[in-house]
Amino acid sequence: MEKEIKMPRLREEMKEGVLCAWLKEEGESFKKGEPLYEIETDKVVNQVEAEEDGVLEKQLVEEGDVVPCGEKIGEVRVDE
Amino acid sequence: MIYVETGSTDVYYNFGLEYYFTVEKRMPEPVFLFWQTTPTLMIGKYQNTREEIDLNYAAANGIRVVRRLSGGGTIYTDEGGWQYSFITQSGQENGASSNEIDFRKYLDPVLGALRGLGVPAEFNGRNDLTAGGRKFSGTAQYKLSGATVHHGSLLVDTDVEAMVRSTTVDPEKLISKGIRSVKSRVCNLAEFLPKDVTPQKFKDLMVAAILGESGSVYTVTEEDDRRIRELADEKFRSWDAVFGHDPKFEIVQKNRFPGGGSLRAELNVKKGRIEQIWLTGDFFSAADIRKLEEDLRGVVFRREDVLDVLREGLQGGGIMGITPEQVADTIIG
Repeated sequence: MEKEIKMPRLREEMKEGVLCAWLKEEGESFKKGEPLYEIETDKVVNQVEAEEDGVLEKQLVEEGDVVPCGEKIGEVRVDE
Repeated sequence: MIYVETGSTDVYYNFGLEYYFTVEKRMPEPVFLFWQTTPTLMIGKYQNTREEIDLNYAAANGIRVVRRLSGGGTIYTDEGGWQYSFITQSGQENGASSNEIDFRKYLDPVLGALRGLGVPAEFNGRNDLTAGGRKFSGTAQYKLSGATVHHGSLLVDTDVEAMVRSTTVDPEKLISKGIRSVKSRVCNLAEFLPKDVTPQKFKDLMVAAILGESGSVYTVTEEDDRRIRELADEKFRSWDAVFGHDPKFEIVQKNRFPGGGSLRAELNVKKGRIEQIWLTGDFFSAADIRKLEEDLRGVVFRREDVLDVLREGLQGGGIMGITPEQVADTIIG
């Protein structure tokens, strides 16, 4: 099943975050709990972890891009 | 809460220790550190060293450069100030839930301790602490492997002139997507503290106030120390840890040499290495410059590495009136 990954909102006032680093390449598989990417907002660097097993299909934003919360940043394929 | 005395003013060691208690030695309660550094520039995790720091000034004045694991901007620290770290494992009381940012619970005890010493301390909107509208403390966080680290700085009697001088750089030279620092008006807490509060006394009062009555103290063992030194060297002290992690950037460097002409170097640098370079100008070269550009691709963006390639490529004639050293200085800037 294809799923979108979106820039998370880490607190109420957060409007956007910087996608600092992809920790998985396109086509790379991951397990639940493994970090997928790293974001920075308000002086906090946060690794965002996978919620289930899957494969990172697409990286839709580049490292260093500023992305509004809720906007699509990538696509993953997860097991049914 | 458990207090750990770092016993060091070496920033690389102290960050190694912080990392050790974050990822490797997980304690049953939150860990608290209160430490100092020799003159040091701490850049945020996704900042560009060249965009934030006058690297030549730092090198000439023995100021260390370190890349933090947390976000935000560049700060200058020295033995006139203090750093603190709170390390919390997930599930611990006061531990942040996995997807939530909360600075206040860490800052409240710090603020309370300072007010107890008579400092009119307040929060500002960027989670900094201020007095009279000027900042004396910056804070940042990172979350790693289920742990949250909140750390901050306190300016007490820091050399503000060195701070300003070392963080003033020519803004036009570089294009990158790194996080930029926000400049603030700063003040030293010494302005507000009673005269009899020495640095040691300040530390003792702060540690006691933050640790509270139920706190305990853990002493670093020889085994801890051995591993901390390894982490310090690998994750913080190495050239790669500092400069190899600069976000990719483009830079144009120019120089003019009497008797040699002008030299312009345009570069793309990624992961601390030259990805592409174009050398142009009105100089006269007996060497094949296109070949030299090829040879420089993939080379570490550091003077000695670049100079090795230039010496090789410019053998037998080279560039008239411009030495390989001068070319290297132009490229590195």
